[in-house]
Amino acid sequence: MSRPAAVQFTAGELALVRRLQALYPDKRAALLPVLQLVQDTFGYISLEAEEYVAGLFDLPPAHVHEVVTFYTLFFQEPKGRHVVSVCHNLTCHLEGAPTVLAHLRMRLGVDVGATTADGRVTLLAVECLCACEMAPMLQVDDRYEGNLTPAKIDRILEGLE
Amino acid sequence: MAERILTRNFHLPESHTLRVYRETGGYEGLSDVLAMAPATIIETVKRSNLRGLGGAGFPTGVKWGFIPKGHQGPVYLVINADEGEPGTFKDRYLLEKDPHGLIEGMIVSAHAIGSRLAFVYVRGEYVQPWRIFSRAVQEAYDAGFLGKSILGSGVDLDVVVHRGAGAYICGEETGLISSLEGKKGWPKLKPPFPAVRGAFGAPTIVNNVETICHVPHIVQRGASWFAALGTAGQGGTRMYSVSGRVARPGVYELPVSVTLRSLISEHAGGIANGRRLKAVVPGGSSAPILTADEIDVTMDVDGLKNAGTMAGSAGVIVMDESVSIPEALMIVARFYAHESCGQCTPCRESTGWIYKMTRRIVEGRGRKEELDTILDVARRGAGTTICAFYDGAVGPYISYIEKFRDEFEALIPK
Amino acid sequence: MPKLTIDGREVEVPAGTNLIEAARRLGIEVPYYCYHPGLSIAGQCRLCMVDVGNSPRPQIACNTLAADGMVVRTETPKVLETRQSVMEFHLINHPLDCPVCDQAGECWLQIYYMKHGLYEPRMVDEKVHKPKAVPLGPHVILDAERCILCSRCVRFCDEITGTGELGIFQRGDHSEIGLFPGKELANPYSANVVDICPVGALTDRDFRFAVRVWYLETAKSVCPGCSRGCNIEVHYNLRRPHHNQGHRVARLKPRENPEVNQWWICDAGRYGGKFVDDASRLLFPTRGRENAAREVGWDEMVPLVAARLRDYRPDEIGVLASPRMANEDLFVLKRLVEHLGIANVDFRVPPGRPGDEDRILIKADKNPNTRGAELIGLAPRAGGLDARGMLRAARERRLKGLWVFHHDLLASAWPGSEIREALRALDWFIFQGSNANGISPDADVLLPSATWVEREGTFTNFEGRVQRFWKAVEPPGASLSDWEILARIGDALGLGAVPGRAEDSFKSLAAGVPAFAGLSYRELGDFGKEAATA
Ligand SMILES: Cc1cc2nc3c(=O)[nH]c(=O)nc-3n(C[C@H](O)[C@H](O)[C@H](O)COP(=O)(O)O)c2cc1C
Ligand code: SF4
Ligand code: SF4
Ligand code: FES
Repeated sequence: MSRPAAVQFTAGELALVRRLQALYPDKRAALLPVLQLVQDTFGYISLEAEEYVAGLFDLPPAHVHEVVTFYTLFFQEPKGRHVVSVCHNLTCHLEGAPTVLAHLRMRLGVDVGATTADGRVTLLAVECLCACEMAPMLQVDDRYEGNLTPAKIDRILEGLE
Repeated sequence: MAERILTRNFHLPESHTLRVYRETGGYEGLSDVLAMAPATIIETVKRSNLRGLGGAGFPTGVKWGFIPKGHQGPVYLVINADEGEPGTFKDRYLLEKDPHGLIEGMIVSAHAIGSRLAFVYVRGEYVQPWRIFSRAVQEAYDAGFLGKSILGSGVDLDVVVHRGAGAYICGEETGLISSLEGKKGWPKLKPPFPAVRGAFGAPTIVNNVETICHVPHIVQRGASWFAALGTAGQGGTRMYSVSGRVARPGVYELPVSVTLRSLISEHAGGIANGRRLKAVVPGGSSAPILTADEIDVTMDVDGLKNAGTMAGSAGVIVMDESVSIPEALMIVARFYAHESCGQCTPCRESTGWIYKMTRRIVEGRGRKEELDTILDVARRGAGTTICAFYDGAVGPYISYIEKFRDEFEALIPK
Repeated sequence: MPKLTIDGREVEVPAGTNLIEAARRLGIEVPYYCYHPGLSIAGQCRLCMVDVGNSPRPQIACNTLAADGMVVRTETPKVLETRQSVMEFHLINHPLDCPVCDQAGECWLQIYYMKHGLYEPRMVDEKVHKPKAVPLGPHVILDAERCILCSRCVRFCDEITGTGELGIFQRGDHSEIGLFPGKELANPYSANVVDICPVGALTDRDFRFAVRVWYLETAKSVCPGCSRGCNIEVHYNLRRPHHNQGHRVARLKPRENPEVNQWWICDAGRYGGKFVDDASRLLFPTRGRENAAREVGWDEMVPLVAARLRDYRPDEIGVLASPRMANEDLFVLKRLVEHLGIANVDFRVPPGRPGDEDRILIKADKNPNTRGAELIGLAPRAGGLDARGMLRAARERRLKGLWVFHHDLLASAWPGSEIREALRALDWFIFQGSNANGISPDADVLLPSATWVEREGTFTNFEGRVQRFWKAVEPPGASLSDWEILARIGDALGLGAVPGRAEDSFKSLAAGVPAFAGLSYRELGDFGKEAATA
């Protein structure tokens, strides 16, 4: 869930940050987990959040920015309440990813990379999610869904608040 | 039916729990193994002909032997669970269905290489596998299989489960190490090799999930047993991820001596919908493609190497006659352009360029000379980069065009 | 020491030498972009490929250490082909900017394209677009499209300054160099990134479009900005006097000296040479103040100054030398005051604000030759007054004449009112320097000095290293080197053996001051030598 106020961890979250940092021989190694925590807490990773995290790690903000812009799972803009990522790599492509994407674009009324106006769903096309046995497939938030048909996609969408 | 080792419990409900794992004999021989001398374990693994199952196929025992003799200070074991090679999904099954098998493998392997702190790098998208595996780690700690003096052996091991954040290149072992260290997943220059100077500057052994899962079985049942399951150059079974136009896509654990033909037509149920086979990618998208008449090869490292391709991650992607090879190459080229880490010039610049060319060709806007341009660029760039990512891209660029040139030419305006 | 063979020639190099440096020793140039001897090895550009032994593929020379018996070939067909491809890769997304690029003439893309590229262009697709002409900070401007992502600038900010402002963001061919949004590249060494950027991605805001580099000449020099004495090059422009607003000195660049500044200089030093072409330059000997001021020739001025020095008792005269003066100047001055028996001699004036200092190069003492002045001996002589004592004595009318070199006393730590009062109480006040300053309007005699780029000489840095600087441009107007002005005055006062060239003064210095014994211009060479400072 997102907490949009100023970027500032609670005491409990800060304790978690310190615990994560202590897991590794070098505290910097906790940067990815802590950025993940930022994203889970605030919904996305704003520039303000990057600077905040840089402070927690004694890193120049540019180095945090390098990391945030490198990985696809970090969002620099607010995303929808749900993220639907359609695999468009080889097997899924052969098995109909373009149709899946077309169906989702039509149902959601947004293009790939965009979020529905009501903030419900962000639609993405992504590289191989390594579930080719269930192609065509997608990831909706934490869950993999495969062997997609238009009807199954509609059922998945219905389940999203 | 040959014996299944890693997947033997997959059919059991709750196979991921400590209870089921122990009921089926898990952790039973661990005390004895922890009493063995590390050098003996390494020797056994060497003799078993276990080869890395993450992609490179390097002999596992030999790699373990690269840790500098007499090294003082920490050594790290890092498990590569960043499964990302298109067409591969076996490690996901292992994390979800046999997490304790991986943990036991880590305990034995860490003991062998003298590591007291191990990391498991799980790709960020694998949320469920990560949850299941993390729960298993907690169970193992609670039962005394992890932590200080495991089962009173005096051997310690802590395990940290680390999540990636979306980048294929973090599957490359030094990119993984950079990422584990909290940086972009830029691969590192070699030398130094990770076994000498890896994560946090210490000797580090990176192994694939499946590789490590084999280790307890090898140590308990013996090197010769394992070696005998495979071919002269590679022991054991491995998990083949079969996808695409087959009747039964899925994971198949088979001896590495199985042929590609048998894998497709017997185990995976043959081509779906009665169509004809056109081409197969045998080892994940980085492996050069094989045509329908090149599939009488054994699926071990050497067999596929001799066939001009590679065993890679054993991700088998099957294409039938309805598939457009140029379109397939465009999809693959888009992947490599998207995933190049951007660190070194040949890969950064040419993956994007080649994707642009393949896209234009598929869209009917290709130029006559561009097939040769792609081949030339790929051949010259091969072997000039920091990591093997680019050679993995070159595999499909060259093989798709060389083997299906007519199809490409047909798309190019006269 | 490993002995290896490169292109058929044997060479022995210290252990730990990479193949780029080993080849350089034989005069063999291996092309490269990302390697820099002062930075960690990145191995990113892949241009430095060479064949090593029987290895089937070329290896990067930057990350390969020379080993005994190694056989290296730098020009095999495979190497040449690889270089050509790497050049092509570097250029496919590079904009066609050369006609409007400031780097033209010193761009390693242009240079290596001509040497190692020369392929038929075959990329017809739209290039990747990135931000252009983005100011990064006070001195540096970025064109991200021109960047070849060698990461030298990033490594500089990480490894040398430790400030980490720059990063490479995104990935693949969208990788882009830049700052954290909203931040500046403003560390005290920021402009070094311009020097190490092999292409026109990072350019100097100050130098931008000032002069095309092919009109520039170069003189070796030493930065006068602080007591470190960083080695520099003075790039000056005589061929296009109308360019760069008539400024002759176009820019100062670091000159590698492993013992002093490695490859770097600070921004303060780099941009600290502006006074040379400034309107405040003193151009002619001048007598009288304000409306009564009159420019005169040296033939009139020298006897006038000589008369003042002769006509007053030595204890009525104060001489305030400057640690900005060269050793050659200080030595003539020292002889002159001894000749005249003047004991009120000093060179130290505490600055108004303490100078900044760091652990890289910058020293708090903003003078280039404090150590020289100490060694040569321009401190108060027995019974003489120090600088502040002289000012007090002037206010009390015990001191009647004062000769100040270069110092702007009003920028010192001392109260301005005391200084003003002291200067006004004097019978005469001679100011000798290159530029007008806070106190020069109070002088009734102005002696115009040449700046360090308009003459030759030596400075002694804080470690006692004596380093030469060379003449780049002519002194403007009638200005002269300090030593020369002093020599002329000394001559008029019967000093004897006055130097005719800077080197003559240095020779006598080496003969006369033990710390400098055995040194000569030749001996000092390009990189200087330690004085014997025990
Ligand atoms: C681009 C690239 C991607 C890779 N991805 C993976 C991966 O997802 N999983 C993996 O185990 N190995 C991957 N590898 C191989 C690793 O670099 C490394 O060889 C392997 O993890 C070693 O373990 P193993 O010897 O047990 O196979 C990849 C290699 C490259 C070049
Ligand atoms: S080959 Fe590609 S992925 Fe590997 S380091 Fe170079 S740019 Fe990165
Ligand atoms: S801006 Fe210049 S120095 Fe920095 S990475 Fe780009 S080319 Fe290299
Ligand atoms: S100088 Fe060796 S790779 Fe760039």
